[in-house]
Amino acid sequence: MILTTVETVPGKSIVEHFGLVSGSTIRAKHIGRDFMAGLKNIVGGELKGYTELLKESRNQAIERMKEQARELGANAIVNVRFSTSSVAQGAAELYAYGTAVRVN
Amino acid sequence: MKYTPRLPQRNVNVTPGSPLRDFLVLLLGLTAILVGLYFLLGLAVNLIVPWLPMDIENRLAAPIVRRVVVKKDVPGQEAEVQRLLDYLQTECTDLPYRFTIHVSDNPHVNALALPGGNIVVFSGLLDKLKSENELTFVLAHEMGHYAHRDHLKGLGRALVFMTLSAVVFGSDNPLANFLSHGLYVTELNFSRDQETAADEYALVALNCTYGHVSGAGEFLRKIDEGDGGGNGGHYFSSHPETSERIAHLKDFAKMNGLDAGPLAPLPADFNL
Amino acid sequence: MFDLLFVLGLIATGYIIGTWAERRHYRSIERREREFIRLPAVTLKKLDAGSPPVESAVMVCGSAVVSVDYFKRILASLRNIFGGTVKSYESLIDRARREAVLRMKASAEGTSLILNVRIETSAIGRYANKKGVASIEALAYGTAVTFKREGAAFHTG
Repeated sequence: MILTTVETVPGKSIVEHFGLVSGSTIRAKHIGRDFMAGLKNIVGGELKGYTELLKESRNQAIERMKEQARELGANAIVNVRFSTSSVAQGAAELYAYGTAVRVN
Repeated sequence: MKYTPRLPQRNVNVTPGSPLRDFLVLLLGLTAILVGLYFLLGLAVNLIVPWLPMDIENRLAAPIVRRVVVKKDVPGQEAEVQRLLDYLQTECTDLPYRFTIHVSDNPHVNALALPGGNIVVFSGLLDKLKSENELTFVLAHEMGHYAHRDHLKGLGRALVFMTLSAVVFGSDNPLANFLSHGLYVTELNFSRDQETAADEYALVALNCTYGHVSGAGEFLRKIDEGDGGGNGGHYFSSHPETSERIAHLKDFAKMNGLDAGPLAPLPADFNL
Repeated sequence: MFDLLFVLGLIATGYIIGTWAERRHYRSIERREREFIRLPAVTLKKLDAGSPPVESAVMVCGSAVVSVDYFKRILASLRNIFGGTVKSYESLIDRARREAVLRMKASAEGTSLILNVRIETSAIGRYANKKGVASIEALAYGTAVTFKREGAAFHTG
């Protein structure tokens, strides 16, 4: 499954499209991560726990979008965009959407 | 570019599974963790608490005493019992506490040994007494608990519970009060072995005061007639069967050469 | 004691009515998605070289605000302790966005294709900046183009 953020898949031509596909996810941190973050507030540095959390969130959203595209029969998703919001405190929410296409 | 209208069969963006099951699992997990923490911390505190210096113990005791005691206004009675207590402390026992008596307005036949040297005697018990010997036995029995530091063992868990419930529920929450009431009753219980040890201690102190050990058996028989409950209530009763207690005390007396004798009457201004 | 029962009652009400409302909403969403299947919404910005000439282009948008029920809120706070996917909110945000896209398509009735669709979300409501959970607002907007040829809804070119 090819993902791009441009109009087309460079070097290939789009044969047909299937409309919008999207993947969303919302993951919460647990008390351990919170505690470490609190400590890091004192010494500074990268909050590895939260980085992990956001990375997992992003991966899951993209995976779900790919799955939906696959179901429709696409093999690429073009013009992918992300959107996020803080719907709940302490949770990372991510929404990825794009156009499912079939390229050759 | 051709458009092929097609709809996905399933919704990838929602995890299947009942949210109710999720809720129950999480709630159970949280409860299990809190209970586990409670017991673990209680154990840890129990190990530390015997090393507590006396004034800290007294300060920790104050809120617990306030919760348990519903003060009955009987200054005459209290003074007499305190006098007896002081006598026992100076003449017949050697304990590092300053004992204070609290008479609690409660019809149960019971007495409690709270931290800090606070002995609580329920008015129900005082009403049942017929001789000074019995009263001395009760006081000496409670002092026996102090001698073996029994009273501190429940203190650890009670403290942990108070802290946990304040953190999770906030203080003055009715749920916390409801649970803590049940918990004080169970935590202030002493085990059978502890009770037997306190009985023996009391018998020796009784002998020291009067030269004989009559009154102990009479008293034990009386509490049996009473409400049948052990320390703190009907459930979780850990009092050994009274007949067993009396039999054991008789053996103990025989082994240590303690005999019977005349019972001393209660002080004149006792029964107001 | 009464407080505890009250909270439990709220949770139960939230669960029962919330689940019923959610199922009803999903049925409506699926029905309308089937209706609007002929009108594609894409994130592409440009029309293909071989597209028919365009008659008109107009901006369309649709928005929806969906709120949580009490049960979901409690579940989310429990999840905050243990970590992991907050399943109770997934359906919430999914519904809000699909509803917004459907409303956008509804306002683009009669057009052939909606280009450059963007979806924005935000949290609104009393708890938006404090501890707790807000309602989620989803806004979908795009450019709806109509082709000159008859029956052009099947093709983009």
